[in-house]
Amino acid sequence: MSPRSAPGRRAVIAGVATSDYPYLPDTSEHAVHWQAAQRALDDAGLSWTEVDGLATTGFFPMYATGVAEYLGLHPTYLDETNIGGASFELLVEHAAHAVEAGAAEVVLVTYGSVQLSTMGRRLGTGGGGGGGMVGPAIYDALWGNTLVGSYALAARRHMHQYGTTPEQLAAVAVTMRQHAAHNPQAQYRQPITVEDVVSSRLVADPLHKLDCCVISDGGGACVVTTAERAADLRRQPVYVLGAAHATTHHLNVSADRDLTVSPAATSGPLAWERAGVKPADVDVAQLYDSFTITVVLTVEDLGFCAKGEGGAFVEGDGLGIGGRLPTNTDGGGLSACHPGMRGMFLIVEAVRQLRGEGFPETQVADARIAVAHGTGGMLSTGATLVLGRDLP
Amino acid sequence: MAPASAGTGERFFPDEMPSPAANAETAGWWEACLSHRLVVQRCTGCATTRHPPGPVCPACSSLSCEWSELPGTGIVYTFSIVRQAFLPALAGTVPYVVAAIEPDGGRGVRFVSNVVDCDPEEVEIGMAVEVVWEDMGPELSVPRFRPRPAPVDGGGGGDDGGDDGGQGGP
Repeated sequence: MSPRSAPGRRAVIAGVATSDYPYLPDTSEHAVHWQAAQRALDDAGLSWTEVDGLATTGFFPMYATGVAEYLGLHPTYLDETNIGGASFELLVEHAAHAVEAGAAEVVLVTYGSVQLSTMGRRLGTGGGGGGGMVGPAIYDALWGNTLVGSYALAARRHMHQYGTTPEQLAAVAVTMRQHAAHNPQAQYRQPITVEDVVSSRLVADPLHKLDCCVISDGGGACVVTTAERAADLRRQPVYVLGAAHATTHHLNVSADRDLTVSPAATSGPLAWERAGVKPADVDVAQLYDSFTITVVLTVEDLGFCAKGEGGAFVEGDGLGIGGRLPTNTDGGGLSACHPGMRGMFLIVEAVRQLRGEGFPETQVADARIAVAHGTGGMLSTGATLVLGRDLP
Repeated sequence: MAPASAGTGERFFPDEMPSPAANAETAGWWEACLSHRLVVQRCTGCATTRHPPGPVCPACSSLSCEWSELPGTGIVYTFSIVRQAFLPALAGTVPYVVAAIEPDGGRGVRFVSNVVDCDPEEVEIGMAVEVVWEDMGPELSVPRFRPRPAPVDGGGGGDDGGDDGGQGGP
């Protein structure tokens, strides 16, 4: 990742996998971790005994140590930093630093969730899949605000300042569904139209049901190691060219100074600089799509278009395979799978695209540079990973 | 319905709404609410306002702060019409408006609250509002807002100009 690292110690992703998804009614959360991790190790051609680092996170304390116990690992590198949906981009960033510094050789990054089966199938209007906000978000919850309500506040403000339309937001959901149609595992695959989105039920006006991500079971994993170690492994490694993360506030809308600007506005430029890559160099993007507005803000803040032009950027299949920025080639969280913290899926799909192993209909030809960007909380955190097939 | 005056017992939300667990830093805000005074925490060192209340000024790190009383008027910075109840008890309340309010005199601070006493479809960004107190019980009064007939000039920033990009600091 760091140009200062010796070429042999440059951080790479040597293996990736997704677990089964989106419905896992008879599976435990730990079992999802195991399945994804086993597949990622198989993909890399590594065995469990070669793993000396574990990075994972979830919603109870000492989470990573619990996963380590379940997997039979005794890692000497552990990380369970939780910044919500952006956590896994951050965990890979940390792991990349660790292997480049020699603090670990093989770091397994895993994610597992059975949110759908645990919560029951319902629309996610708040943290915890349908509930309200509690704890630190009490200054919102007391007035009946929810997670989707908070994103709705951002969407309304963006519409007001920049003239963004519900139809432009809907275009994001339509393109994601087009991509999901080619992903046999995707939760929803039937094509939808802009009209379908804007005539679906308003959950928190201006966001409709189809502006909101799905709720799923599932997980994924990747293996971070050095270029040197990956040289004699099974797969062509993908380089971690650069990474950065940022935060604007915790969970209360009151504390977010500008609802139309996400933390990507900080993490993006830092990551581009560290990677030596410009937005125009990116062949394929995997962008956190908790809600349609999240994607519009992210394409602006990462610099793919000017501030305020995100609506125009995404409409007309702008995020399609032949579009301005092919995005979420697996169907994204809006259609394919969103088990709560989707960031790992972004990484897995980015690596598959760079290996030319995407779904045939959504593979971007000769993809060399990909970005995976996670967004967590109430537009509270952002983490950007720039990945490359080759060193620049 | 008779025109409501502040804190006359009119109810807008059910008893089952979440209630705050006040701590040393936030108790002062809720105590002011109980006496129907809208206040904001202001740093006595650099005058930066902050909300939710906290122990230290994010601008200058001062631990010294005061509760600055606000006139109770402001504008709608942004809003959402919540149409799906997240609590069963809210089934009879939806649709309702959740809004980020920029209070006059708040130096850019925002409160998440509601716009009540009007048709949700009539709410718009920049709308002038005034506080209305809802007594949820003997120990909790909650500030909500309702449309204010005539906006007062030069209050809390314009519709979409002066409030943008400001950091709320001096």
